[in-house]
Amino acid sequence: MTATVPIVHVVDDDASFLAAISRLLRANGFAVKTYSSAHEFLSQLDAHAPGCVLADLRMPQMNGLDLQSALAQTSNPLPILFLTGHGDIPSSVRAMRDGAEDFLEKRAPHERLIQAVSRALARDSREREERERQRELRALFDTLTDREREVLSHVVRGRLNKQIAADLNIHERTVKLHRTAITTKLKVQSVAELTRLTEELGLFREPAPNLP
Amino acid sequence: MSLVTIIWSMSASASLMLASINFMVWFQNRKLWANLLFSLLATGTAGWSICEMWMMHAATPAEFAPVLKWGHVAVWLLIVSLVGFVRLYLKTGRSWLAWTVFGTRTLLLFPNFLVGQNLNFLEITRLGHMRLLGESVAIAEGTPNPWIVLGEINLVLLIIFVVDASLMTWRQGERRRALTVGGSIVFFVFVSSGQALLVHWKVLILPYVGSIFFMGLVLVMGYELSSETIHASELGRKLQKTEAGLHEVKETMRLAVEGANFGIWNRDLVRNEVWATDKWCALFGFTKAQPLKFDQIVERVHPADRDTVQFLLQKAIESHGIYDAEYRVVLPSGELRWIGSHGAVEFDDSGKPILFRGVSHDITWRKAAEQEAENLRRQIAHAGRVSMMGQLASSLAHEINQPLGAILRNAEAAELFMQEPTPDLEEIRTILADIRKDDQRAGNVIDRMRSLLKRRDMDKRPVDVGELIRGVVALVHSDAAARHINLDMAIADNLPPVFGDLVHLQQVLLNLIVNGMDALDEAKSADRRVSVTAALDGPGKVEIAVSDSGRGIPADNLANIFDPFFTTKSNGMGMGLPISRTIIEAHGGRLWAENGNKGGASFRFTLPIAQNEAAK
Repeated sequence: MTATVPIVHVVDDDASFLAAISRLLRANGFAVKTYSSAHEFLSQLDAHAPGCVLADLRMPQMNGLDLQSALAQTSNPLPILFLTGHGDIPSSVRAMRDGAEDFLEKRAPHERLIQAVSRALARDSREREERERQRELRALFDTLTDREREVLSHVVRGRLNKQIAADLNIHERTVKLHRTAITTKLKVQSVAELTRLTEELGLFREPAPNLP
Repeated sequence: MSLVTIIWSMSASASLMLASINFMVWFQNRKLWANLLFSLLATGTAGWSICEMWMMHAATPAEFAPVLKWGHVAVWLLIVSLVGFVRLYLKTGRSWLAWTVFGTRTLLLFPNFLVGQNLNFLEITRLGHMRLLGESVAIAEGTPNPWIVLGEINLVLLIIFVVDASLMTWRQGERRRALTVGGSIVFFVFVSSGQALLVHWKVLILPYVGSIFFMGLVLVMGYELSSETIHASELGRKLQKTEAGLHEVKETMRLAVEGANFGIWNRDLVRNEVWATDKWCALFGFTKAQPLKFDQIVERVHPADRDTVQFLLQKAIESHGIYDAEYRVVLPSGELRWIGSHGAVEFDDSGKPILFRGVSHDITWRKAAEQEAENLRRQIAHAGRVSMMGQLASSLAHEINQPLGAILRNAEAAELFMQEPTPDLEEIRTILADIRKDDQRAGNVIDRMRSLLKRRDMDKRPVDVGELIRGVVALVHSDAAARHINLDMAIADNLPPVFGDLVHLQQVLLNLIVNGMDALDEAKSADRRVSVTAALDGPGKVEIAVSDSGRGIPADNLANIFDPFFTTKSNGMGMGLPISRTIIEAHGGRLWAENGNKGGASFRFTLPIAQNEAAK
């Protein structure tokens, strides 16, 4: 499937720099698409295609930071790398806090640029896999009945079958049957594995203890 | 003494008196020929008057005849001078008639002396007597001389001539003169000639008394002439008064001119001679004794200003006549002096320039002050540019890093392409062309910055308006982008170049654009826009406007924004607008602010177009 080839999206209002950097990235074996504005990029964004974004921080109308927040709202939140002509502390702090992959000067060393792009693509691929796995897990959980889910919430808190039966006011045998159904549906062997999965999905989380 | 003696001798002496007065008048002013002829007329009258008195008192025909003969000489003088007087005084009368009267009367002197005893009689046989004024007077009787007929014709011609001349004077509109002079001459000549004829043909028994009538003529003429003399003397008095006034004005002028340290000069353009006051000579370093030569004066002018001065002088002579110049002179001591000169050319009736006159004064002190002000202005302008560059530093770094980044990335790409077994030369060629282009771009930014940072004199030359605006917009472009501001330009087509100093004008534009962008930061408006427009304003000017979409200028501040140190910004110096205004005014333009009708402020300035300025 060709869609799986990750694309480096370069966004810069400076046509000459855009041409140069895309040339360099292609020479390094990357697939590159170029855009002269953030709007142009967002309107053409594929909802599933892997890749990363390399954007100029200073652009007319929608600048790099605006692009970053707009991208985060989409279903395909590609990692973003910022390029700037000249280091600009407040912007870079904000960009990094909001999860920017990296912050590069336009004249950053070649290796650093390539490493940053590769890293961003790797991160995209990792995050994409993660998202995929979560999506699959969630689909599995969705097959559980409400009662099974209720039982599961007690199991992951380490309650014994007897205790669960008492809590839910059902027979202990019924609890056992539910547990078997749960492990079968979720394709797990042990309680430890079950606990890890629910944590991964963020289910049945205790409310955070109040900090002093 | 008898009454006849009293009257006739008084008449004669009055005539002689008038004759001598008018002779003196003529003697004083030889151009007054009418007075001389009147003097001769009066002399003739006096002569004939004496002859008449003598004849009336003659005891024998032998005593009577020669008196009458010599009396005709007086009559000749009288008639001839009367004709001349009419010609000169009335300036009319037919000249052929005048010459005929003159000729016949002169001719009559021959028969008077050669035929018979005199013109009237071949021979006087006896003397009759009659009573006149209670006295017995002699009357001649005898054989008449036939030549007398010619004498009578001559008198008739005289009357015709005078009547004709008076009518011509009347028709020419000189009615008073025609009446008083012409009328009285006609009357008295007619009466006296008539009397002579009647006596001769024995119609009237009377002695010759014509001189009394001529006496009347002489009195009227004398009155006429003396009224002119009175008029002339009045004029003279007035002239004296005017001269006194003029002297006063001159004296006041002299004081004013000396007080103001003005030197006055005159140049006779016909003879090419120069005259100047002592003060002027001192200004130009000439000694009083030295005769002035135009060429020497030109040599005193500083070589750099010489052509301009010569050109302005020549232009004044050839066209409008007004001369204004400021130039340097080099004194013999080597000292440099600034001179301000103002002059005007006088032209004769045919429009030929004849005289150039003017004033000059020392303006060295003023020029030094101007120079100092100019230096100060330059320093402040420079400081303004440096501080503005500081504000724009990060933007400028971006402007330079952009092309440098492109160059680096292109070079790296090219290196990678070269490592391939069969490098794509076409691609590499394109990369090299791009590198060259970006290098040029970075160089341009640096050049613009350097020119703005350089301290320099104003150097005016034709400036392309589009180039001016685009250059500045390129400098602030990325700053505007970083601040989310749309910076747009609208430059009218075919704008003529303006006349000015590119760097100073860039500074003004830069300042106005940065101000506009700052105004947007304060406003936090949704539409963040700064527009630069340029269009022709009338035939000789270009108007450039920088408008923003901010809140506009509060009415209270509109009057003060161009005052030095007036600022609404927390980090502002309050010098940007005053410097900008000074720069625009030094270009002969105007800079002002107004609020747009859709909100936002608009700063506008005009600049003269290069073509107009060069023609000045």
